[in-house]
Amino acid sequence: MIAMAPVFCIIVPLAAAFASVVRPLPRPLVGLAILVVLGLTGMTVAEVWQQGAHRIPVGGWQAPLGIALVVDGLSGALLATTALVMTAVLLAALPEFADRDRETRKGWAFWPLAFLVWAALNAAFLSGDLFNIYVSLEFLTLATLALVSLEETAEALEAAMRYALFALFGSLAYLLGVVLLYAAHGTLDIALLSQADLQGTNSIVAAALITTGLAAKTALFPFHAWLPPAHAGAPAPASAMLSGLVPKAPFFVLIRFWFDVAPDLPGEAALQFIGTLGAAAIVYGSVLAMRQTQLKRLVAYSTVAQLGYLFLIFPLAGGDGLSQVWSAGAWTGATFHAVSHALAKAAMFLAAGLVVHAAGHDRVSAMNGLTQSMPMTAFAFGLASVTIMGLPPSGGFVAKYLLLTAAFSSGQFIWAAVIVAGGVLAAGYVFRPLSRTFFHGHVQTVAVPRRQQAVPLTLAALALLLGIVSSAPYAFLQTGRPIAAEEGLE
Amino acid sequence: MTPFLPALILGSALVPGIITFFLPEERVRLRNALNLGGALVKLGLVVFLVAEVNRGRIYETSFDLVPGLPMVLRLDALGLLFVTLSTVLWLLTTVYAIGYFGRRRNLSRFFGFFSLCVFSTTGIAFSGTLVTLFFFYELLTLATWPLVVHWGDAASIRAGRRYLVYTMSGSAVLLFAIVWLESTVGPVEFTVPAEMAAMQDWTARGILVLLVAGLGVKAALVGLHRWLPAAMVAPAPVSALLHAVAVVKAGAFGIVRIVYDVYGIELVHELSMTLPLALAASATILFGSLMALGQRQLKPLLAYSTVSQVSYILLGAALFSPYATIGGLVHLVHQGLMKITLFFCAGVFDERAGIHDIDELDGIGARMPWTSVAFTIGALGMIGLPPIAGFVSKWYLGLGGVGAGHEWVVAVLAASSLLNCAYFLPVLTRIWFRAPGPHAAAAKREVPAALVVPPAITAAAALAAGLFAAFAYSPLGWATLIVGREYTP
Amino acid sequence: MLPGPLLPLAVLAVPLGMGLLAVLPRMRAHALLMLPVAPLPALALAVFGARGEADAADILLGMRLGLDDRSALFLAASAFLWMLAGLFATAYMRDTGKREVFTGFWCLTLAGNLGVFLAQDAITFYASFTAVSLPAYILIVHEATRAALRAGRIYMILALIGETSFLAGLILAGVQAESPMIPEVSAAISTAPQGDLILGLLLVGLGIKAGLVPLHVWLPLAHPEAPTPASAVLSGAIVKAGLFGMIQFFPTGTGMEGWSTLLVWAGLIGAYFGIFAGLTQTKVKAVLAYSTVSQMGLMIAAVGVALAANDPPHVFNLVALYAAHHGLAKGALFLSTGVAHRTPRKRLWPLLAVVAVVSLSVAGFPFTGGGATKTALKSAFHGPEATLVAASAAGTGLLLLRFWYLLRFQAADAPGARAGLALSAPLYAAIAAALLLPWVLLGFAGLETAYILKPSNLLSGIWPLVAGAVIGGAAWALRPPRPPVPPGDLVVPVERAVRRAAHRHLRFAFPRPQIRPALRPERLERLLTRWDTAGLLLLAFALGLTPLLLL
Repeated sequence: MIAMAPVFCIIVPLAAAFASVVRPLPRPLVGLAILVVLGLTGMTVAEVWQQGAHRIPVGGWQAPLGIALVVDGLSGALLATTALVMTAVLLAALPEFADRDRETRKGWAFWPLAFLVWAALNAAFLSGDLFNIYVSLEFLTLATLALVSLEETAEALEAAMRYALFALFGSLAYLLGVVLLYAAHGTLDIALLSQADLQGTNSIVAAALITTGLAAKTALFPFHAWLPPAHAGAPAPASAMLSGLVPKAPFFVLIRFWFDVAPDLPGEAALQFIGTLGAAAIVYGSVLAMRQTQLKRLVAYSTVAQLGYLFLIFPLAGGDGLSQVWSAGAWTGATFHAVSHALAKAAMFLAAGLVVHAAGHDRVSAMNGLTQSMPMTAFAFGLASVTIMGLPPSGGFVAKYLLLTAAFSSGQFIWAAVIVAGGVLAAGYVFRPLSRTFFHGHVQTVAVPRRQQAVPLTLAALALLLGIVSSAPYAFLQTGRPIAAEEGLE
Repeated sequence: MTPFLPALILGSALVPGIITFFLPEERVRLRNALNLGGALVKLGLVVFLVAEVNRGRIYETSFDLVPGLPMVLRLDALGLLFVTLSTVLWLLTTVYAIGYFGRRRNLSRFFGFFSLCVFSTTGIAFSGTLVTLFFFYELLTLATWPLVVHWGDAASIRAGRRYLVYTMSGSAVLLFAIVWLESTVGPVEFTVPAEMAAMQDWTARGILVLLVAGLGVKAALVGLHRWLPAAMVAPAPVSALLHAVAVVKAGAFGIVRIVYDVYGIELVHELSMTLPLALAASATILFGSLMALGQRQLKPLLAYSTVSQVSYILLGAALFSPYATIGGLVHLVHQGLMKITLFFCAGVFDERAGIHDIDELDGIGARMPWTSVAFTIGALGMIGLPPIAGFVSKWYLGLGGVGAGHEWVVAVLAASSLLNCAYFLPVLTRIWFRAPGPHAAAAKREVPAALVVPPAITAAAALAAGLFAAFAYSPLGWATLIVGREYTP
Repeated sequence: MLPGPLLPLAVLAVPLGMGLLAVLPRMRAHALLMLPVAPLPALALAVFGARGEADAADILLGMRLGLDDRSALFLAASAFLWMLAGLFATAYMRDTGKREVFTGFWCLTLAGNLGVFLAQDAITFYASFTAVSLPAYILIVHEATRAALRAGRIYMILALIGETSFLAGLILAGVQAESPMIPEVSAAISTAPQGDLILGLLLVGLGIKAGLVPLHVWLPLAHPEAPTPASAVLSGAIVKAGLFGMIQFFPTGTGMEGWSTLLVWAGLIGAYFGIFAGLTQTKVKAVLAYSTVSQMGLMIAAVGVALAANDPPHVFNLVALYAAHHGLAKGALFLSTGVAHRTPRKRLWPLLAVVAVVSLSVAGFPFTGGGATKTALKSAFHGPEATLVAASAAGTGLLLLRFWYLLRFQAADAPGARAGLALSAPLYAAIAAALLLPWVLLGFAGLETAYILKPSNLLSGIWPLVAGAVIGGAAWALRPPRPPVPPGDLVVPVERAVRRAAHRHLRFAFPRPQIRPALRPERLERLLTRWDTAGLLLLAFALGLTPLLLL
């Protein structure tokens, strides 16, 4: 049973999703579902912790015939992050969707979609072959599309349309790449592909297409334009998962592809190119975030910027660098960032949601006087900001530190400069709303109970904790890495 | 118990802070008791430590953030100097803040961040590695900002923004430099001299410049100082703490660590970086004083004076001579005592007489004699008149300057003293020799004691630190001990 | 050895403690009573105490106090004058305001002045020197008139420049000496590579205090404005701190010939400058101030001689003797102006008579105390300098004649005015001491009474005075135009220039560049949002990545 926990990590949320389509689940059942998935995730993580990375053949068939799930440190960590964030999001969503809007479309649709997102994320993180990944990503896209359009405003629908369009482009490119690979090698299983020779033109084109597709889905600059309106337009709990978790799935696949499937792909130039786009995302996203007048948009643009860091993994850890001592640091840094950003950004969106709810509008000025009226929320926003800025003590800092070390060790100072500048720019946008929390006089009109405020605060505290108790997560992330570089920075 | 001492001391600041955040605004007594209790406990621990470290013991605790990124808390004589200063002044500032704020709002928030601020300062002092230092250094930035913007008006927010722009940029540069250094020579522990030989000279120089520039923002080196006068809008206890203990000192302390424990003064000297550093410090000293000369308001004047005075510490650190080191280190304490006195007094003038501008001080000496005397002692000490503490610093810095072969340092010190006279004496003249103006006439009595006693104590301490400088436990005695024990340049 | 550090420390601690005591509300009314008491321990130590050194290692940077015969003479004379002036002040200051403040700073200045004479280490000396310099400001501006504040300001500026310069010199010397003790510091100066710089810096610091021309400008401004007892100690005791500093710090012997010459001539120029500038003054205390400048010039010149002399301590002793007499006599003269203020014109003549005697003494008339000290001092000079020193007595006589002349107009208008015993007793005590004390102390200076009374020496004391009388008589008859030299002479144009410069208020501010964003990212964002752009970009990305992967 324990060995099959990962499988149930997918099945249980899926079942919950279907069940809530049939009939809205009562609160206790929602709670039960959450608890079960949390428990399953915990088991999976414990399994990885004890046994290391392993494959789970589903239904007893081995690859290439059967479907296999792959669990290693990274997927375990992302599973756990997903579980934590989803729990928080669903808890935060309870008052909004479970009570008031039980009979509306919004209230009805949210729960199946949320559970579907959870299932699809877990599936993407666990899938052992590229096609299953494709299927998971499609599910994810569909579910998130629906979430974006939940608000039923013209703006939200337009955002959803744009999102659909970009996602379509991305899926097409990805699928094309997968087909090309299959044509060349006859398998899509990650383990098998990693042993294949991927130097042929077909494979190269496939790699380019797959990267393109996934980059579009991860909202890498300049394909990010769909993200801010979509994330800002969705209801806050939805935004939290959209911004915190959803982009991590295609990014995870990118890492799987580049570091597990095709670690020997040549192309230092390609790596540098992707890195450049990542750097551009950091700068561009931050600048735009600074110029937003709406709170949720600001947070959404911050996601664009933060996702940029993830792509620095390519120049810092990829290619020839993979065999270098610093690559482990860079790889872990980027993945660490993925995790801590997920927690912090979800916290930030949830907090923003509460603020918007309390103030009744979405302008940055909604934050005015927050330290007096809703100190817990203000604090949550602040703590999350610390991670976003990558300041100690936070997971963001550890991630940034690892990336920086890799940049210097590999002599790529320019990325170091970008990483460091990104922190300053981040300060530039998070402190705009944060400053307002200290203004005199409240503008929030609706009282928000403390219980609700505690949710983002907990998430933000977790992101911070990740920076203080970071050596266990670090070791965990390393589990199953092909090149053991457990000595870390030394 | 002893291995946990650093953690205990840190906890004595952190725990009350965290609890304070969650206290309802009305629980004034509990809050005050908590904060004062924390400060007293910390003071007790520190006193115990002083005796221990004096016997040559060193305490250390460490854990890894990630492999190769150790967080080390270490108590050595230098750190303890800084900790002792911050602990004593924290206690006084807490008392003062309680008196200053009275029954105002948002105090749980204030005292929470206040404790965090002290926690970070203590952490900086205890840091055993460069990364640990950065860790707490950033925490300090974050903990201080809410204090700067505490009043919540437009001016405060603006000042807070400027504070952030400068400190965040500084931190970025610092982080860049730290990681660069560590990726070249491995993790830097302050006890173990890093293998700097692994670096090329120009790399070493470049990193040093970046490190100093990064830390120099908080230490308000000229050109990087502009946040400091702006941050004057903060409540008086904050200004006092910022200027005397926390922020600027953290920067200066960091630079001292860099020069002595990371590079080692010999190496800095070999890289011929001592002279540029000393020049930068001197430029700041003169610049700060010149700017102070043009101020019309009291707090900005004091702020520019800080700009000037903090660089005394840097000057001491930069000069290749044990005397200079002693002078710099001792000024860390002396400047703290004198400057906190001045800010305390400025706060009292503001709170009890509504005085902001210098020309509003006319004749206040007769109305508020205690505060005015404390202010006078602080100001004369800044000028460097014996037997107030500032003079001891100046003496040693001068000796160090000449000892290092830079006679011009004496000229800088002399010029700075004269400039200090030029901006402090007119203030004193107004306080004592002018007929009472409208503000003096309307001044309230010098109560409560919580507001008046702290500056009196710090002023007395500043006087005593100079008068009994040769006493073994005086700041000078301690600084001499540090220099004798740890650095023999 | 001195008995422990306690007694010498008490010399300093008692005045400081009394100063603090005076500020206490309960003591304020009787604050002035502290003044004559405060210097008593010093007087006792100087007269009855042992000679030697005592350490108080915890104070300052390791305080060492000590006393030898010469410093004891300085100490005794100063303490005595402080005591008399203090006694005088108890009556004279009775009706002024802020007596407690005056008392507090009086005591602080006193402690500093005594400290200067006791200090054996440079730090203590410097601290004391500061304590005697800066608090004196409060004494000067006590009346808080415009003129007093101006005088105080100029005094303060000069004093601060002096402090700073002195400290800079000490630092430079201190490094060389590697010990803060004055003998070591002094020895180090002669070997230091920057010896001349050090001496220059020290000279500025000490010279300002000692009224060395051209650093003397504060004297004629401050003396007329300060309350009379304060003027008395300023001229009688405080300026001696600078002189004493020179004796203590300046190395002697070979290598000092240049500095010796410089000091001699600077002193002599000062002596004559003081006379000429003083003769043009109309304020009675300004005349006295210039007389002090002149007399201090003589003493500085003698110090200069000592620097290159065969037996420097002997010359220094002569200077000490001269300084002791001058302090008491000049103090008496200042006090006499105060007494004159409270005496009706008709009853002024006894005072005038006594003042005439003291004036003669200062001018070196034989058989007076001043005559003795002047003869003694002259024995140090040789050649043309000796003649100039002797001739200066003519000027001194003339100057004091002018003082005497002006003093007559100081008398009180009210016929019932009366100077009480508390005013006149200190005056007469000072006069008596000035006239007699030098005779007692001749032995200390290594001279015999017979030498003083040698006819040639008597003659050289008389002829300048006769010449002075002749010139004075001629001036009386001819009434030549009096050049208008304002008090403070040189400082007046400087002050004017500074004021003019300060008018163009200096402000330091960097120009702030206004940065406007050149490109608006929103425009780019709109472009990227369009689906056709997005499609093209994706295509370009995929197409571009392929060759890059092959690279």
